[in-house]
Amino acid sequence: MNTIVVNHIAKSFGDMQAVKDVSFTVRPGEIFGLLGPNGSGKTTSIRVILDIYQPEKGTVTILDGPMTEEKLNHIGYLPEERGLYQDVEVYRNLAYLATLKNMTKEEIDQKLPAWLERFDLTEHQKKKTKELSKGMQQKAQLIAALIHDPEIIIIDEPFSALDPVNTQLVKDLLIELRNEGRTIIMCTHQMNQVEQLCDRLVLIDHGTVLLEGGLKEVRERFATNQVLIQTDSDLPENLPGVAKIEKEGLYHRLTSSDGTTPHAILQQLIDNKIGLNSFEIATPTLDEIFIKVVQEGRNGHEEDN
Amino acid sequence: MKKIIEVAKYEYTHHVAKRRFWIALLGIPVGMLAIMGLSILFSFMSFDLEPVGYVDQANLIVQEQQVPENLGFFDIFIKLIPYTDEAAARADTENGTLQGYFVIPSSYLSTYSINYFSNKQPAGDVTNQINQLLRDNLLFQENIPNLDRIMSGSQISLESLDGSQTSDGTNWHNIIVPAVIGIIYFALVMTCGGFLLQSLVEEKQNRTMEIMITSMTPDNLMIGKIIGNLAVGFTQILVWALILVIGAVIFRDKLTFLSTLDLSAGYLAISIGLLVLAFIVAAGLMAIIGATMSTMEEAQSINGLMVVPLMLPFYFFNSFMTGPNGTLPRILSYFPLSAPFSLSLRMAFTTVPAWEIIMVFAILIVSVVLVFWLSGKAFRRGLLEYNKKIKLRDLFVKEANHG
Repeated sequence: MNTIVVNHIAKSFGDMQAVKDVSFTVRPGEIFGLLGPNGSGKTTSIRVILDIYQPEKGTVTILDGPMTEEKLNHIGYLPEERGLYQDVEVYRNLAYLATLKNMTKEEIDQKLPAWLERFDLTEHQKKKTKELSKGMQQKAQLIAALIHDPEIIIIDEPFSALDPVNTQLVKDLLIELRNEGRTIIMCTHQMNQVEQLCDRLVLIDHGTVLLEGGLKEVRERFATNQVLIQTDSDLPENLPGVAKIEKEGLYHRLTSSDGTTPHAILQQLIDNKIGLNSFEIATPTLDEIFIKVVQEGRNGHEEDN
Repeated sequence: MKKIIEVAKYEYTHHVAKRRFWIALLGIPVGMLAIMGLSILFSFMSFDLEPVGYVDQANLIVQEQQVPENLGFFDIFIKLIPYTDEAAARADTENGTLQGYFVIPSSYLSTYSINYFSNKQPAGDVTNQINQLLRDNLLFQENIPNLDRIMSGSQISLESLDGSQTSDGTNWHNIIVPAVIGIIYFALVMTCGGFLLQSLVEEKQNRTMEIMITSMTPDNLMIGKIIGNLAVGFTQILVWALILVIGAVIFRDKLTFLSTLDLSAGYLAISIGLLVLAFIVAAGLMAIIGATMSTMEEAQSINGLMVVPLMLPFYFFNSFMTGPNGTLPRILSYFPLSAPFSLSLRMAFTTVPAWEIIMVFAILIVSVVLVFWLSGKAFRRGLLEYNKKIKLRDLFVKEANHG
């Protein structure tokens, strides 16, 4: 059973079509990346999933059925626009939001101090939210999203405003939550974080899906016929099975001829007695895939128009 | 239900715990009392309550001045002391025992003029009191039967041509109940409605709203907020009522008219029912304004318009007195926002048919349902539109497509 199934949803505001046709599935116990450039329809899609907006077309199935008020208690949400009461003390703020997730006072008094401790906010719990730094507010907001042990966690840009130490803290936490079997949907522009954390992803732009799949599968799908090598030897001008050799800083990028495997190229290099410091298959980074797919999608979009 | 209570509890404690709530709460009655007290003090200070003497050279005064029973709080009484000797009266005026003295000359019955001796102007009421004393004594000597009844005037009963409106001419203080209802309603809408509006716009500006409506339905959120703010309002009323009751107990001897108030349970129940329903309608409208406006300034300017229907019955108070079943008072009592004061006021002046009361309640209940339905839409549509305001038309048109 999939945790969330988004099936051809569409949502517009007046003349603006925020989401045209988005479908994807989120499986239990995975970190799922919801990616896309600014204004691509990510936030609207999340709001449709959360039943804030009613879609004009399509359906959303969450935990095997439509959204209910009871199911909201099992969802933790960190919205893109952070929101805590600015004039209220941190502890009271978080305790109130936790009661709205059906937690009892006893549960809150038991769990909240531990969360504050984990995020290094214990000494700030009596302060008003507006007195905290942006990073601290972000951590407090994360507590609001997680304190009720949600089954599904939806987090929009969880690392914004965090320093490297806190970024690592949140990353470790997300991995820990996944290992506990929670399902996490993460929206972010930070592709390195997606590469490190996500199991699967969907890339949307202009309200339509451009790409969906497992992280490994996506990278393999965009793998090129190139290898990167680092060597102190001079490379011969012609190597059998290599169509092109380009110098890139310390590296040489070797483009193989059709049908030549990276293994065959490695054999050629050894046969030619070329000393190798490193040899790697040049798979594109997620950043490169993101830019490529979005640009291709936009070119197609312009042609359609 | 639990979440509704949690929201109501939070809204209540959030406002009641604030110092500004108590400053406003106690400040308004204390301020009003201070203004009233000062004006009373200044008026009393302008009165000279020292006794006044009189020398009756015409031998007309056989009955001395009577100290009136049940002297009202605002009644001024200056004691008139008889002197046989003008020199003694003069001496007492000079040494400050008297503020002055009258001499009723022996020729009074032919001249009808008397002299007043003092270094100060006679206080307004002193001349009334000496005239009253003279009039009473002159009439007393005429041996007119039933003089007391004649002097106290007739008891006039007023009745409208259709017989629906009756009054004994002394029940002017029945407007106290509608006036209190009107003032409470106005204060509730302005303060608690204001709090509700503020809390919504703040949540929208703080972006807390998105967290709220992913924890509960917008309708339940609004119900919780309205209940919480209503409770804040009732706390306010309770404190004010307590102050009034304490005041009434302290000054019970001076507020004798209160005992004649027509306080039937049915009348009070209708008035309070109207008040609560109309407040919910007003609060729902505030919620719509709060949900569709993006800043507090915009919300407040629209909110200012809400004052108009609340004030209309006050502006047209005279129409209610002269023709409580006239067109304007009727229209105002059918309009949800002006209903509590208007209908309550009409009921104080006349007998309002039962069907009309039922109809007003029906209008209010339908309005409550309508306002809730509309504000639910406004919440979904407007709460997450952080940077622009939503037009009322959008609530009907766009959401209706897929509602």
